[in-house]
Amino acid sequence: MQQLMALESSVLQFAEAAVKAAATVEILERSPATLRDAILRAVGDATRILFAPPHELPVALFSEFAADSRVVANPTPDEMVHSAAGVTEAFAGVASTGSVCVDVGYERTGVVSLLAPLQIAVVAAETIVPKPRDLFRSDILDGKGLKRDFVFVTGPSATADMGPLVRGVHGPHKLHIIVVR
Amino acid sequence: MAAPVNSADIQPRQVANKSNKKALLDAIRMTLDVQSAAVRLNTQTFNRNRYAATALIGDYNELKDRARQIKEAAIANLPELLRRLEASVQANGGHFYLAKTAAAANQYIRDVLVRHQVKRVVKGKSITSEEIKLNHAIEAAGIAVAETDLAEFILQVADEQPSHIIAPALHYSRERITKLFKRKFTTDLPLDTGEELTRFAREKLREQFIAADAGISGANLIAADSGSLMLVESEGNIRMTMTLPSLHIAIAGIEKVVPSRTDFGPFLELLPASGTGQPLTSYVSILHPPLQSPPFVAPGGTAKPREFHLVLIDNGRSRMREDPVLHEALYCIRCSACLNSCANFETVGGHAFGGETYSGGIGGSWEAGTGTLMNARFSELCTACSRCVPQCPVRIDIPWLNENLRQRMNLEQPPSVAKSAFGAMTGSAEQDRVAPLQKQFFGNYHSFGKWGTRFAALANASMHLPGARGLMESALGVDCRRTLPPFPKKTWEQLYHEERGVKPGTIEPGVVMLADVFTNYGAPERGMAAIRVLRAIGLDVALSPAMPDGRAAMSQGMMETAQRQARALAPVLKRYLDEGRKIVVLEPSVLAMLRFDFKHLLGDPGTQTLLAQNSFEPLEVLWGVAQELRLDLAQIFAARRCPHGTRLFYHSHCQQRTCNSATQTVEVLRAAGFDVVTSSVECCGMAGSFGYKREYYELSMAVGEDLFAQVRRAEEGSGPRTLVASGISCHEQLSAGLGREVFHPAELLASTL
Repeated sequence: MQQLMALESSVLQFAEAAVKAAATVEILERSPATLRDAILRAVGDATRILFAPPHELPVALFSEFAADSRVVANPTPDEMVHSAAGVTEAFAGVASTGSVCVDVGYERTGVVSLLAPLQIAVVAAETIVPKPRDLFRSDILDGKGLKRDFVFVTGPSATADMGPLVRGVHGPHKLHIIVVR
Repeated sequence: MAAPVNSADIQPRQVANKSNKKALLDAIRMTLDVQSAAVRLNTQTFNRNRYAATALIGDYNELKDRARQIKEAAIANLPELLRRLEASVQANGGHFYLAKTAAAANQYIRDVLVRHQVKRVVKGKSITSEEIKLNHAIEAAGIAVAETDLAEFILQVADEQPSHIIAPALHYSRERITKLFKRKFTTDLPLDTGEELTRFAREKLREQFIAADAGISGANLIAADSGSLMLVESEGNIRMTMTLPSLHIAIAGIEKVVPSRTDFGPFLELLPASGTGQPLTSYVSILHPPLQSPPFVAPGGTAKPREFHLVLIDNGRSRMREDPVLHEALYCIRCSACLNSCANFETVGGHAFGGETYSGGIGGSWEAGTGTLMNARFSELCTACSRCVPQCPVRIDIPWLNENLRQRMNLEQPPSVAKSAFGAMTGSAEQDRVAPLQKQFFGNYHSFGKWGTRFAALANASMHLPGARGLMESALGVDCRRTLPPFPKKTWEQLYHEERGVKPGTIEPGVVMLADVFTNYGAPERGMAAIRVLRAIGLDVALSPAMPDGRAAMSQGMMETAQRQARALAPVLKRYLDEGRKIVVLEPSVLAMLRFDFKHLLGDPGTQTLLAQNSFEPLEVLWGVAQELRLDLAQIFAARRCPHGTRLFYHSHCQQRTCNSATQTVEVLRAAGFDVVTSSVECCGMAGSFGYKREYYELSMAVGEDLFAQVRRAEEGSGPRTLVASGISCHEQLSAGLGREVFHPAELLASTL
């Protein structure tokens, strides 16, 4: 019970911080149909969606989404550059900052999470850690943060170089995070 | 608002190298004319956000200690770390190259690019690449370089050097970017908003990313155990640079190496919070290249395997490592907190307060370390106000670095009979007698005070003699537009010892006030007011002999003189501590000497710690005693009895805030019944002698404008407030800017007695 409450509070802290960093967050029960519906709701009427299959979360969780006709299984370079959304898993989340950690060592995860204007990241509630520094501890998440090539993603890309703060620069203009429990 | 006019018509590149003083002065004029508004807006936003973001880090101070330890150990162990890093990079399948010089680094990178027949390079922001002028080297080989960070893109289009170490084009307002792009590009787009400008640049650069056959990035940190890089950014261009092309070259200074990835933790949280004031920037990449994922193949292109080169640059850093002063700069993680918390930097930015690459408080050490000493001349703009010191995530004492650079630059000056005689007469240590007359004048203020008060009538009258101020301006560089405090007929010491019938205090054993030279010769009545106030709560107050503390000399880079003075003063103060008295210091810049700066001067850590822990600002002591004894300050110092009114505007002193001795003054004044509005500027711009100097008068007044505006805002609609300040030079600045009398808090409290 206590563990459950701690989980709940870290998910809430995570969601609050992510929203503060200009991401949008949805918290879902873990099911293939719910996940598919949530992703498709987020992409709206986009006709081409990039998808890098998961390595941590079960592939089956994404099966219904992956079957959607708009998901490009093996994109050509041209399709990679001209897609509306990119969907990847995140192997960790950070409660204090609302960041998701995306492994970019796997085939295509790096580009899928970077090139499209809308980035969607799916993260498991139990992988949310309290602080960024926790990713560099061997006793947390099996020390994955010490071994992998990954990116802390905190909100969409942004710049203040052109005067006012602008969201959406070279990287995604929007970040939608789906937390699955 | 009228368009700013660069009346001097000076281009930033012309004044990047400030080894001659004229370039520095021209650069100040240019930046005040053209860049000041944008620089102020952007740095002050960073500054506010940093205070907010670091307050959210629960263990901020512990994290800073940890970061400092990691850097100290890493720099101490650098040769070994570099060997381990080389092995790690090679084990990952990458290439490692340690470049002794900028030229060697450029040669290596150019060779790699040529070998791969690279036509087009995309580049992420790297201040180190600016240091070695990498772009010139690559372009000379006929290879196109696209700067992809939007700020660097602006600079590339404008052909200017960076003005800030993390936001290199922050001197550009949106309006000036629009103008620049319209001049340089043919486009029908309006480009009248940040969004439009960003979209325009993004589309231009997206083509470059797709077509590029190599990416060059920097690195914020590098882990020796795994060859891991940490890269902090918000735009996504660095990720593109490292992910899309098959060839990735990362360049960084050797000081970026830490033992292991586990050491990234503290920096990961401190760097963005201290820089832009974000908990994390949009993207922080942690990679040990070459990446395992396949590179992006452009439409119609052919797939190539990934290749990675790590180029580490020495270029003077090994020399810095051996240097007793400059090795501190190697701990710098380039967060920019010292730039954004600096009132002078906020007003002119890095095109004046900076060299060809590095800028701000820490910039002088880097320009001197990687170039020549005189490249650091702009570090004169560091007034040692100390506001950067508590902001530095690795606890570098930046003013101390700049004071040492000043000493070295003084020593480069040819000696002269005049300087030497002047120095001997006024009290400079032998080594410091090569310093310019102006520096020796301000550094030996106590000598002038001593003679001036002895012959006050004569000295003050002589200031009013026709030509006297003109002579001071031409010989000593004291600006004619400044009012030098008149010499009093009697010093603080004399007034104190002439008192009769003073009853001993009821609180034993009481305090000793340090008769600092500024109060003793400049404002003795203020000192007496402080004594009366402390006595009013029952404290027994002794007064130390008037002795210089080293502050004035140190601020002029006269380190020998400062050391001699500090070492003479310490035992005198120690005797009072042995009696059980606490030390009370009226002038905050002198308090900061005892609290912090003596550690560089005394060579006696025991005494230094004792002095640091037992010295206080007068109202800090008063507030402490009042809390402890539950004194009713509203009765003792009833504000309604104050002849100067009860509505106050209070400006605390920069060093007082660094000492955490400012809030107590506000507490006391409010408890006494005053209505207090406080300033929120980092420094008034006077900063001791800085604003008196002819060449910096305009800058000093421009800095002060923020403070003057705050006073005006506080009085808008509700009527005037009495001006109150704790520092002697803040008094001069406020009264110069607003033309009104300024009081010390102790004077107001004393007036209620």
